[in-house]
This record gives sequence, C-alpha cells and structure tokens, in this order.
Amino acid sequence: MKFLSNGNLRGWLESLMGMGSLIAPVDLEPGLTLFSQVRDPGEVNLEYEITPIPPKDLFFPSSEALFRFSPSRGYEIPRIEGETFLLGVHPCDALGIRLMDFPFLSPPADPRYEERRRRTTIIGLGCVKARPECFCTSFGIGPLDPSNADAFLVPVPGGFLVEAKTGKGARALASAKLKEASIPIPKPPEVSAIDVEAVRKVALSLFDSPYWGRLADRCLSCKVCAYVCPSCYCFDIRDYPTRDGAERVRSWDSCQSPLFTRQASGYDPRQTKASRLRNRFYHKFSYFPDEFGAFGCTGCGRCVRYCPVNIDIRETLSAILRGEARIA
Amino acid sequence: MRLENPYLAEECVIKGSRRQTPDVYTYAISYPRGSRRLRTPFMPGQFIMISVLGIGEAPFSFSAWDDEKAIFETTIRTVGNVTSAIMRRGEGQRIWVRGPYGRGWPMEEARGKDILIVAGGIGMAPLRPVIEMVARNRRSYGGLEILYGAKTPEDLLFADEFDSWRSIPGAELLLTVDSVPRGTKWDHGVGVVTTLFDKIRTEPNDSIVMMCGPEIMMKFAVKGLLAMGFRPEDIYLSLERRMECGVAQCGHCQIGPKFVCKDGPVFPYSELRGLPDLLA
Repeated sequence: MKFLSNGNLRGWLESLMGMGSLIAPVDLEPGLTLFSQVRDPGEVNLEYEITPIPPKDLFFPSSEALFRFSPSRGYEIPRIEGETFLLGVHPCDALGIRLMDFPFLSPPADPRYEERRRRTTIIGLGCVKARPECFCTSFGIGPLDPSNADAFLVPVPGGFLVEAKTGKGARALASAKLKEASIPIPKPPEVSAIDVEAVRKVALSLFDSPYWGRLADRCLSCKVCAYVCPSCYCFDIRDYPTRDGAERVRSWDSCQSPLFTRQASGYDPRQTKASRLRNRFYHKFSYFPDEFGAFGCTGCGRCVRYCPVNIDIRETLSAILRGEARIA
Repeated sequence: MRLENPYLAEECVIKGSRRQTPDVYTYAISYPRGSRRLRTPFMPGQFIMISVLGIGEAPFSFSAWDDEKAIFETTIRTVGNVTSAIMRRGEGQRIWVRGPYGRGWPMEEARGKDILIVAGGIGMAPLRPVIEMVARNRRSYGGLEILYGAKTPEDLLFADEFDSWRSIPGAELLLTVDSVPRGTKWDHGVGVVTTLFDKIRTEPNDSIVMMCGPEIMMKFAVKGLLAMGFRPEDIYLSLERRMECGVAQCGHCQIGPKFVCKDGPVFPYSELRGLPDLLA
C-alpha cells in the first residue's frame, strides 16, 4: 500500500492526461457531478457522492453508429482510438462494468465494447460516506473494495492510499509520486446488506403474485431505472438515412418500454406494465445469475434515488424475504 | 487481434418473388458463396437477419435453401417497415443478410422416426425446408404427417406444392381453416388446427413433433398432444420474438433465462415449460 498526497495529485493527473484522455467525476453545475473528460485537473471532484449516470456509457454509449454504409464506399466503421483513464469509480460502478462484461464479452464479443474496454484503465475510488440508498454489500463488495478496478484509491487525511491491482493499474500509477503508506486503511462506512441469495431461492415461486401488479400500478414506465442502472444493458438498433447511404445506430433501450417486446404483427408477449416491471426484477435477481453466475445489480441505489414515484427495489427484496409478496 | 464485427451483413440480390397470399410473398435471394457474414449451409429452422439499409433489420426464417445455386428463399408477411421495404424492392435489387443464427429443427434426432408437423398460418414457412429435407432423404425418416391450418383457404402458404407434398411416400397432409368465404370451394376441415387432432395417425412413441404458428395455437396444440401421450421432449416449437441483435445481447427476445435467438428459435417443449410470458 502506497500513499499519494493531495499535493501530488495534480501532477499525477496531468501525467495521465498526457498519456490519454482522463475521464473523471466533474461538477457540471452545483449538485450535478458526471463522469466527463477532464480539461484541467482542478475540475476533478473525488469527494462526489454519486453521478446520476454510471460510467457505463464510456464503454456502451447511450447512442452510437455501429457502421455507416454508402454504395460507393461500402461499410465504414467509426474508429475507436486512444487510451482512456477512467478515474474515481466507486466499487459499485466498478462492479457494474464487470457485470456489463458478461453479455458484451461473451462470444461473439461486441467489438466496440471490447475495444473500449481494452483501451481503458479503471482507477477505483473508495467511499468514505455511504448514501441512504446504498446496499452494495449485498453483492460481495463494499465501500472500500478494490476488486473490479485496475488501481484503487482510498481517501485518507491528506491524500489517498493507493494500490495497483493489475498491470494496467501499475502502468497508470507509474508516474505518481508515491510514498510508503504509514496510515492504516480506514474503517469502511456501514452499508446494510440484503440476503439476495435467499431472495433468489424463493423468487420464482412468487412469479404469479399480485404483488407485481400492485407495485406496477404507480410505475410511470419512464425507464429512468434502466438508464441510471450500471448493469442494465438492453439496446435497440435503428437505421437512419445519410446523404449518400445509411447509418445503423445502437441506443440504450429498456424492458420497461411498452414497445420493447411488441412485434410488427402486433403480438406482444409482455403486454402489461406488471409483467414488464416483474421482468426487470427477475432479470437482475434470477435470469442474469442463471446465465452468468452473478446478480445483475450492484447495490448503487440509483434506481431508488431517481425513481419519480419511489419504487424502491430494496423494498421489493424485503417484501419477498418477509413473505409479503406471497401469492394471496 | 481485431474481432469480427457481428453487425455487418452480406450484400445479396433479390432474384424474384412469388405472391403466396394477399400479404405474404416468397422471395428468392442469391448470396455470394463463401461469405463470412452469411455462413452456409443453413439448418432448417434457423433464422437470418435481413435488412434494407436505411430502413432497418428484422429476423426471418428461410423457407428453402439451395447451396448449388447459391439461392435461398424467405417467406415474409408484409406487416411493418422492413417487410414493406423488402416488398417494394423488385427483382435485381439489393438487400443485406447476416446469419444464420440459432438452433433449428431437430433433423438429427428425427432420423428414423415419424415426423408430425403442426403449422398455423405463416408458421408453415420455417417448416417447408423440413418437408423438402424429408423428401430428399426419404429413407432417413419414417412417416410424415402434416397438419396445417390458416384463417381462410387463401391464407394457406405453398398451396401449389400441396400435391407434391402428398406424393411424398408415406406422407399425409391435413388442412383446416377458421372460416371459408362464401363461394370458395373447400373440401377440407373448418376449425382451429387442433380439430384435426383426432385424425392424427402418428404414434406418440418414436416420433418427433415440429410446430410453428401463433402462440395461442401452439398453447392448445401442445396441450392436445400431451393428452395424446406425446412426450414434452419430443414436441418442438419454433418461437417468434422481436430481435435487434441476433447474438443474445440486446435483450428483446429474452424469455426468462433463455434467448430465442441463441437458445432457439426452436425449443423442445420440455425446455419451455414454466418459462414466463410465454404461451399465455
């Protein structure tokens, strides 16, 4: 474990900016922090609580052209170039990137995701404070857990404890002026865990419960839960004409959309809001674990925080554990 | 190492089209041999993604395939943007194809067994290559019984081929329609496809059922077949779902932990039992 003083932070960030582009939490306006390209190291806010959008769009942009086509030039694939240092990723969001790897790096791997992932070094950041909606400890991580990052920083008085976890991380830290650490790793903030394994065991027996309909009654189908989710990865593909051809664009989509499963014929296997809300829950706590061996949730609490009608996924998990979602 | 881009499709040419019903056409499409974006041969029941660039892309089954001539056929109902754009494209025009994807009909498991085909409406399209495969390799398979239902007589696909299907040794073709318009000559059944079930001669033992049609039809057909003693693992269904990617990533075709594009579109009923939002 090494120590990076606050005084040496700027020099390190400048050297990272010399090696590639630096993406880090930046205050765009008071109260709004987003992962953004850093122009000056002074912009970086490493005391942020949460970004409304997780850094998944760095690898899986909210909308991007997969290719362009014109009769004269054939296919043109937008290039992905350069190296990126993604700094200040909390453990929940680092887990989110790991979860995103499952669908996008399973064969056939998505070439755009794979390319961006390979060109990016993830520098994690421990949480010294927990938010009321945090439940990351339910998923085998915690506020100071360095797994899923290439290098990890833990804020301590006067600077950061730093540690390289991979070769990429060591390379990113090579230019930092570090000292041997004399400060112990601080005690992580309390984050309460939910027994999601127990939820998974009983969830399927509650599939036909009227609970889902009651919960869905107030859902607005606004899909904000999916857009702010670090592990939601569904997408849509659309064509748009260009001056001399067409481009095919991939955009984020959500199973909460009434159009998500509707076929051109009009047939829709998931017609009700209740069945769509239920699908999102079961995908995260049953289908994704069945497919990939990990829960499709990081406990970041964004869906809890940003849902306009206060649908709280933790309440659903608790209702299942307490037997309140039982079939009446 | 650069990965192959799974979204690039092969440029193919429409060689001709035949009207099957008022809104269904069969298109003959020629493809370049040895293409990595369109890998041949296909297996009956697999699907391909067809696009008209600038309009969009959608999944379709193929209804015939001839590798010697490098031509396949696909039978498409005109219902949306992509299918309308395909219909507007005439002979000699380009469309783009990638695939094939997914698991097709169990042609290996069916060797030496009787085959019972149950089709509804456009659901006959992915089953036509099965009939052709059985006809070409007649001694590899047992009896062939085809039950086919549609809304009206004019909604039956491949009607001009019924006689040749009937002439396959050991083959039987039973037809039914929901209704017969006044003045139409019709000497077959009237009613949903399950009304043909008491005529089924295929024995539940040592046989394979291959079924494709609207889910409501398949729901009742499965029920009827199970009651007759057919085993869940011998009843194969081809499912249709909205798809964007074809490679188990976009999430649209997911049914519980299964992806119709990767794990299907053909599933034995034993794998579908208990899955959500299905055969409802």
